[in-house]
Amino acid sequence: MNPDGIYWPLPVAVRAGQSGVPVTVAGIGVEAVREEWLVEDRWWTPAPLSRRYFEVVLADGRNLVVFREPAADGQWFEQRA
Amino acid sequence: MPIACALIPRFSLLTVLGERRELMGKALALAPEPGGPQVIGQTSGAAEAFGVRAGMALGEALSRCPQLTLAEPDPEQAEETWETTLGRLEGIGAGIESHCAGEAFFAAGGLRRLWGGSVEGVLVRAGGVIGGPVRLGAGPSRLGAYAAALAMPPRRVRRRRGPGPEAVVRSGFVLVPDGAAQAFLAPLSVRLLSERLASNWERATIPGLLERLGIRTLGELAALPDDAVADRFGEAGLVALAMARGIEAPLCPREPREDIAERLELHEAASGLELERVAELLVDRLLANPARRGRSIRRLRLAAQLVSGGGWRVDVTLRLASADRERLRLALTPKLTELPSPAAGLTLRALELGEAEGAQATLHDDSNERRRERLGEAVRQVRAAGGREAVLRVLELDPASRVPERRATLTPFPEGEGIA
Repeated sequence: MNPDGIYWPLPVAVRAGQSGVPVTVAGIGVEAVREEWLVEDRWWTPAPLSRRYFEVVLADGRNLVVFREPAADGQWFEQRA
Repeated sequence: MPIACALIPRFSLLTVLGERRELMGKALALAPEPGGPQVIGQTSGAAEAFGVRAGMALGEALSRCPQLTLAEPDPEQAEETWETTLGRLEGIGAGIESHCAGEAFFAAGGLRRLWGGSVEGVLVRAGGVIGGPVRLGAGPSRLGAYAAALAMPPRRVRRRRGPGPEAVVRSGFVLVPDGAAQAFLAPLSVRLLSERLASNWERATIPGLLERLGIRTLGELAALPDDAVADRFGEAGLVALAMARGIEAPLCPREPREDIAERLELHEAASGLELERVAELLVDRLLANPARRGRSIRRLRLAAQLVSGGGWRVDVTLRLASADRERLRLALTPKLTELPSPAAGLTLRALELGEAEGAQATLHDDSNERRRERLGEAVRQVRAAGGREAVLRVLELDPASRVPERRATLTPFPEGEGIA
């Protein structure tokens, strides 16, 4: 853990639809999903990293990147990416 | 390494009351500071019985307790009195960490051999040099030591309830052994956090929110999963969670402080032009103070004792550390217009000093060197105003990484060398 990292992910409350795509982020509706990508890394270690990233546009105009971390009990995070 | 806590509850309020301590039996609170947020300061026990607490909005406090009496705050006087106490504690060899008047932490382990060979020996010595109604305790973390100090009742009060089986009582002090902090803290109320969290907002919000969510004790908080707390309370929640589990960063003792201050008592209430002249006089005296030893001044505090009672103060950070009379005067004079009422006394204190005046000029004009110096000066100015962590540098680790947090990290910004 390195809390000094500027890219360090921060927990965020996300409600996702059945397809796993975010519907609200921190209670604010998602207007559009601009991009979606997967990051699979460290699969050769006991702690593999598997993230599904979404770049979303919120109803208040903000552009955010969020991802879901299955290794952290499916917790959602917001990250500068 | 045991951490000792020296605590004088309601210290700022007691300092303001001075000899009139009988007023503590009434519903009393410190009024909001002039020019600050409209929230009350420390409160008496009688006021707390009405549900009035420090940090509460003034309107809400008066609604809860219409007979609440407000005392004019004087933070400068409280800090000055506390500074004297800290000096005495440092005199017994303690490295002090103190973020507010009335509360100090120090590592007691290294002092044992000096004062009786035991932690309680150190506490006896500390109590002796502080004097007055101080409470002392020790534990493996700040919150544990703080709770241990609170568990030590004043001598005149008979102990009604012991500190719990996890702590030991020796020579009248509550001591929490290493590894027992979480168990000791577990039955205590989450309200204890309201005195230990970093910002006023966190103190006023987090403990109350926890209680409304049904989490009443530190043990219940410690049992929560990290991500649930982070999700609801963010970084501050994680700090509170770690505290409840007895985990805290090591002590960060302050550097011994050089007190360079000048004070002038005024025979009549002064304001306007007259006060400006007094400020100029204080600048001259401060610059002539031999303790300055030729160094420039980076940060100043101008404080006033008000005729209406209480005190006022303002900190001024200079863009360039200076020992120039005119420059200091120009920085200070506009602040005098913020005084809420005429002053009965004025104090000027150098909080942070810069390098020795009369910096050596270079023979040839090197713009890169000049830029480097100005950047270094700007970094020092921001740090003087906002603390060591106010300026950091982005250090690229693996810029092309697909995992964003591996791309860069933040490191301390160099003041001199390394600025391109």
